[in-house]
Amino acid sequence: MNKSDTHYVRFLNVQKTYDGENLVVKNFNLDIAQGEFVTMLGPSGSGKTTCLMMLAGFESATQGEIYIDGTPVNNLAPHKRDIGMVFQNYALFPHLTIAENLSFPLKVRKLPKSDIEQRVKRALDMIELPQVAGRRPGQLSGGQQQRVALARALVFEPKLVLMDEPLGALDKQLREQMQYEIKRLHERLGITVLYVTHDQTEALTMSDRIAVFNEGVVQQLASPTELYERPSNAFVAQFIGENNKLSGQVEQINQDSCVVSVEGCSVQALPVNIRQCGEPTTLSIRPERIQINPDASYDNRFDARVLELIYHGDHLRTRVELMNHDQFIVKVPNGAHPLAISKGDQVQVGWHRRDCRALDAMIPGRP
Amino acid sequence: MKYEAISAGALDESQTIGTPSTNNSLKMQLRRAERWNRTRAFLLVVPLLLFVGVTFIMPIMDMLHRSIHDPLIVDHLPKTVAALESWDRQQIPEDTTYAVLAQELVSLHKQRDLAKVAGRLNTEFSGMRSLLSKSARGLARLNAGAGLESAADTREAMIRIDARWSDIQPWAAIKNLNSRYTLSYYLAALDMHYDVSGDISAQPERRQIYKALLIKTFAMSALITVLCLLLGYPLAHLLATLPESRSNLLMIMVLLPFWTSLLVRTTSWIVLLQTEGVINDVLISIGLISERIRMVHNLFGTVIAMTHILLPFMVLPLYSVMKNISPSYMRAARSLGAKPAYAFIHIYLPQTLPGIGAGAILTFILSIGFYITPALVGGRSGQMISNFIAYHMQTSLNWGLAAALGGILLGMVLLLYFVYNRLIGINSLKVG
Amino acid sequence: MSLPVYLTPIERLGFYGYRLFCYAVLFFLIMPVLIIIPLSFNAEPYFSFTEGMLRLDSSAFSLRWYEDMVTNPQWINALKNSVIIATASTLLATTLGTMAALGLSRHNMPLRNAVMALLISPMIVPVIIAAAGMYFFYTDLGLAQTFTGVILAHAVLGIPFVVITVTATLAGFDHSLTRAAANLGAGPVYTFFHITMPLIRPGVISGGLFSFGTSFDEVVVVLFVSGVEQRTVPRQMWSGIREQISPTILAVATLLIVMSVLLLITLELLRRRNARMRGMRE
Repeated sequence: MNKSDTHYVRFLNVQKTYDGENLVVKNFNLDIAQGEFVTMLGPSGSGKTTCLMMLAGFESATQGEIYIDGTPVNNLAPHKRDIGMVFQNYALFPHLTIAENLSFPLKVRKLPKSDIEQRVKRALDMIELPQVAGRRPGQLSGGQQQRVALARALVFEPKLVLMDEPLGALDKQLREQMQYEIKRLHERLGITVLYVTHDQTEALTMSDRIAVFNEGVVQQLASPTELYERPSNAFVAQFIGENNKLSGQVEQINQDSCVVSVEGCSVQALPVNIRQCGEPTTLSIRPERIQINPDASYDNRFDARVLELIYHGDHLRTRVELMNHDQFIVKVPNGAHPLAISKGDQVQVGWHRRDCRALDAMIPGRP
Repeated sequence: MKYEAISAGALDESQTIGTPSTNNSLKMQLRRAERWNRTRAFLLVVPLLLFVGVTFIMPIMDMLHRSIHDPLIVDHLPKTVAALESWDRQQIPEDTTYAVLAQELVSLHKQRDLAKVAGRLNTEFSGMRSLLSKSARGLARLNAGAGLESAADTREAMIRIDARWSDIQPWAAIKNLNSRYTLSYYLAALDMHYDVSGDISAQPERRQIYKALLIKTFAMSALITVLCLLLGYPLAHLLATLPESRSNLLMIMVLLPFWTSLLVRTTSWIVLLQTEGVINDVLISIGLISERIRMVHNLFGTVIAMTHILLPFMVLPLYSVMKNISPSYMRAARSLGAKPAYAFIHIYLPQTLPGIGAGAILTFILSIGFYITPALVGGRSGQMISNFIAYHMQTSLNWGLAAALGGILLGMVLLLYFVYNRLIGINSLKVG
Repeated sequence: MSLPVYLTPIERLGFYGYRLFCYAVLFFLIMPVLIIIPLSFNAEPYFSFTEGMLRLDSSAFSLRWYEDMVTNPQWINALKNSVIIATASTLLATTLGTMAALGLSRHNMPLRNAVMALLISPMIVPVIIAAAGMYFFYTDLGLAQTFTGVILAHAVLGIPFVVITVTATLAGFDHSLTRAAANLGAGPVYTFFHITMPLIRPGVISGGLFSFGTSFDEVVVVLFVSGVEQRTVPRQMWSGIREQISPTILAVATLLIVMSVLLLITLELLRRRNARMRGMRE
């Protein structure tokens, strides 16, 4: 595999500031391989859309370089970049019909007329909406508009497609359906996709890799499994999936284990980004990795009191009080042998050391 | 596939951009880029700014300049003006001054420029026109004959031609206009003048007209604005609360007059209100009056016609404000126990204040500058300030006074425009 | 609309009084415009309804004032002048106004409010002041009593309408559309003519129509700046009303009313088209 395959899109030390004071994007580095589906995930205002806009050419990088296929594009006008893009509100041209919208990028590329017609037809077939060719965007439903926007971004066969929260305006069911369709198209066409969203489920189901953004900094860049199973800091642990966090102090630190004291209790944990004894830390434990009334194989076992039970069908969401912490959640699977617990019961909860990650102490507003 | 890990810098919290010096140059770069963007936006506006500047702003500046620029006397009687420089206004000037004036008058008479000069001085002190032309003719005759030996002879000769030359008044009139720039037009427009001693004082009672005119213009505009508000408020409310299909139909009845030519509407009021017109016919046939009444070419007709013409300017801003007031506010007030009148005064009315302000200021601005309707249906009693500007422009040819009246009107309008801009914002201005 | 049953008699009376008042105001607004139309068909040179007209006697109606209008070279000439002046000034105002509106709608426009206030001032400053100023200034430039002078003056009076309508249209303009066009490969010029312009065209045309209507109805500037050569329809009406009012004026007035109705209909169609293009369904 040659270099431009693994470095098809490359952000190199990219910074962005609007006022010369505050960095919206701080030293951003990212390499995307050809055919990869990479998602930038983060809360709004975290800089992810700015990065997308810099790649599309609508914002210019204050410092650093952006390469596409080995060529620097910093000084290339947006219309010369050959990048497909699906906009947040679709940006379908309201005065043109669907067919005219789809043929727009082909016309500006001066393709022969017959070729244009054929490609438009193919694109409409691809999104399974051949009947809307003569309609205007305003006459379509939100889901149909979304498909047309997707088709328009793909019709001129760009190698790279950007998507800026393309599913944000759809309802839940439609959104899930579109997620699979986009994923399917990505695999079928072999295009490279850079996707922006603030919805973690969307990111987790669709992406090859996810860059988690916060305050202009990439917190972690990894595959979905990696992000969920092995978050590298407290922000990612909290942002992706549900998480129980316990604040404590490092008492003892070894190669692959450490002891953290939380409200007088000693908890066995996996050291991730702690450096020395005595520093504050946040422990992160996923609610589904906690066992009620565990057996002796669990190296962490503590007394707890059941505060609340909420029935969720496939699992029982149990809120317990533990180490003076009353927001501790345990997910009890509704399996073949349901647990007989009720509100007010005294129970034991336990988890394995490998499932309890000792991360940085989260400073509010500054992860 | 092997991915390159993100650089360590991505997680470094203390990340800033370089040293302070590069930071400054970055700021300058950003500022330069921003300035270029601003320039590009501005370049699109420049042609129009130039156009409006040349075709509209410069003419107005020219007019304002004329309202204070008065070089006529200084240009035509330069020596007299210079001779009067040290005159104390206490008694008649020295004999040499008489000689200088006599010489200048005669040459003006020869060049046929005397009428202009005499006319201008006449607006300062009435009688100057006849005095100057009589003196110039007399002096020319004397010059043609034996001529005048000394300055003292000239003085005596002038006093012999007209006894008013033994007075200080004509001299004061010339001295009062001894500068190229003067406030005298503005003083005249406010019923004041420079008196014999060169001080500002009120015009004699019988010559006072403009103060009363300004007050009348204001009072008429205020009356028309109030009438428009009284008629327009309920109508705007009805239009804003009726279902769309019916309010659209009624809206046409507001928009059609708005779009109809001003002259057509004014004509229509003349036709309706004249003594032999439709309204008199109707009133007589239903027996309400026995004698035809005069309703046009007077103040009454002007106010009616202008109210009709300006009413849409009140209704439209009120409507757009009322349309955005959700009916749930009134419902909430009623459900909380307020009677309709109380709910209206305390809940609805305060929310419509922006519309009232916009409509009232707009109507008032438009009506104080109104020209066409008062000119056509105003008669004598319905004349407003604009009509006097036109009169001095076209008939009396006292352009300086016309310009000064225009300056005063412009000042008032710009003040109101400023208030409008501050209170409501220029961007809310809509048409149609 | 039926009234709720719980209203007191006084409240009912108040409600009907309010309705009645509103309809009276509407009558006051529309009646003077409509009354001209039947009167223009009067067979007699009167400005009131004759008995024959009230009886709907067909001999009491005639087209003689319309005949008078179309056979009178003064009116024909005035109409020709009005059309020339209004068309030329509208083109000028629309081009410059649209360009300026595009600049004013950019977020980085400096001094936006001040510039806007200046550009809208021709609508606010009393026409008599502008006319008086133009009288002097245009004479100095040699523009007085020329078509060019009147056209320039009318263009500047029409500009605020263009600026207001086009900026209002651009305020609702979705700027991601131009980004999308650039992203799909269209250059800035292509994008302007194929995306921006078609979308703001209804606003531009409305502004142009306002400007045309302003010029077609303008008399004060014409009184001061134009000569006999540039007599327009309003100028001709002006002397007609001032000197001796003849029913021919009513025929002209009726034609102008018909024109306003057409203008109003066009504007409404444009408004709907604009709404439709924005994807709002009716």
